[in-house]
Amino acid sequence: MATFGGALVALVAISALLAPWLSPHDPLEQNVLLRLAAPTAEFPLGNDSFGRDVLSRILWGGRVSLYVSTSAVLIAIVIGGALGILAGYIGGLFDRVVMGAMDVLLSFPTLVMGLLVVAMLGPTVGNLILAITLTAVAPFARIARAPTLTIKERDFVEAGRALGFSNLRIMVVHILPNVIDDVLVMAALWLATAIRTEASLSFIGLGVRPPTATWGGMIREGFENILDSPWLAIFPSIAILIVMLGLNMVGDGLRDTSDPRLRHE
Amino acid sequence: MNSAPALAVEALTTEFRIEGRWHAAVRDVSFAVTRNETLALVGESGCGKSITALSIMGLVPKANGRIKSGRVVLDGRDLVGLPEAQMEKVRGGAIAMIFQEPMTSLNPVLPVGFQIQETLRYHTSLAPAQARARALELLSHVKIPSAARRFGDYPHQFSGGMRQRVMIAMALACNPRILLADEPTTALDVTIQAQVLALLAELKSEYGMAMLFITHNLGVVASIADRVAVMYAGDIIEMASVDALFARPTHPYTEALLSSIPRVDRHAGDLKPIAGQVPPITSMPQGCRYADRCPLRVAQCATMPPLVALADDATHRARCWVRAGGAALQ
Repeated sequence: MATFGGALVALVAISALLAPWLSPHDPLEQNVLLRLAAPTAEFPLGNDSFGRDVLSRILWGGRVSLYVSTSAVLIAIVIGGALGILAGYIGGLFDRVVMGAMDVLLSFPTLVMGLLVVAMLGPTVGNLILAITLTAVAPFARIARAPTLTIKERDFVEAGRALGFSNLRIMVVHILPNVIDDVLVMAALWLATAIRTEASLSFIGLGVRPPTATWGGMIREGFENILDSPWLAIFPSIAILIVMLGLNMVGDGLRDTSDPRLRHE
Repeated sequence: MNSAPALAVEALTTEFRIEGRWHAAVRDVSFAVTRNETLALVGESGCGKSITALSIMGLVPKANGRIKSGRVVLDGRDLVGLPEAQMEKVRGGAIAMIFQEPMTSLNPVLPVGFQIQETLRYHTSLAPAQARARALELLSHVKIPSAARRFGDYPHQFSGGMRQRVMIAMALACNPRILLADEPTTALDVTIQAQVLALLAELKSEYGMAMLFITHNLGVVASIADRVAVMYAGDIIEMASVDALFARPTHPYTEALLSSIPRVDRHAGDLKPIAGQVPPITSMPQGCRYADRCPLRVAQCATMPPLVALADDATHRARCWVRAGGAALQ
């Protein structure tokens, strides 16, 4: 399952990365004569209302979606993971303040946070990343803090102190590797959420500005002609479906391998 | 004579705060260990022996514990109150410690070889390749069979005795002058216990270390220690060479402790448990803390007896008005 999921994700990631070489046409090239044309041999997934090649746009759109979501999740892992380990390790007032702030962030639904940031700061790629990062930091802080609380009481941490290791070293070398499993499982699942959020924001028109191709934006454009040319909305939806399915399979697989109790079921 | 102590603990008092009041868990404890010497710190659970070790390491939990007074002198330098950054260099460097639980004292997600190397790289300026070579050398030094092959193995692939050997290798990595061993063999099988004790004794003389060996097991004391300090309820109540202590236990508590060990050559019915209980830390009596359980109690026991040398043996000291002759002075 996990391997299959990984293959799906890899397939999409590679085709997005290689979009400049794989796409048969320029994703922005308009052709009035081919407006809303059904799939043909030359344009396998048809053409949109401007006559642009849907396949090329899906390939290029994947670049934006994957870039925004991976960057957001990576930043969230680093910031959230560091805050969670620090909060769990230091405890006391620091813990309460940090986790209180995380609870505030958690109380914003992902989409509302996205609306807020993009409406206030403008629909750029950077702001999209910021919006998704803001909602993803809190869950990563929580998932890193919980195991830190128990690990810091373990004997090997005390033994590390007796060997003269500094707090920073104990956190980075001894606690982090014990926490990373849980964080990676979360990362796979959150990557799917981030892709969905980016698509949702683009769908309601708060994503990267047209004519740049994004999956969510293509679905919205396709919606206008859903009765005549359903493939315009369906094909980008399938792209999102494949990535999310793949990422969820990877997440489940990672969880099973990191939890030895589930391994032999 | 090599008489300058490697480590001297002077009038150490460590306190813990319980419900807003400070209570001494270790009270006015003094002892010294010289190179090549093993001092055993003996006592039952909660008598303050582990707290003494943590005080030496500067690892008393700061949230509710503190060293109230006293000095821990390592090579002429007082470690109490040393800034944390300097203390980190001392720990694992000049003073190393091994713990009771080898099963949990190693990080389960890092290979053992890496964990030994880490100590070396942290405390010395060895290049990675040199650190690796030295770590491998240490691993075979503590008699891990086919050390090179096991270098990349994880702790769960090692048995308890092997893990304790790895812990010992980590402790020895930076040639410490003092080794604090906090019940290092308690969690091990008896046969493994004997091997680890033999290894410790061998390494101690090889490295010329001073060893502070904390245990509740008098059998272990007899086999490894040169001198013994017996602790009861936070006080050292008797200190003597190991032979003198076993030949002539002077404090009534030491005596009772020795007669509560099961022995093959004695009938089980001869075992004498010590009546009563250790007074709780929150309500320690003013005088001798053993008085309530002591068959020899006299009126004078209501004041704390000093730790004095016996009349005929200056190295054998006990804290008892009746037995140590202190009574005669008053």
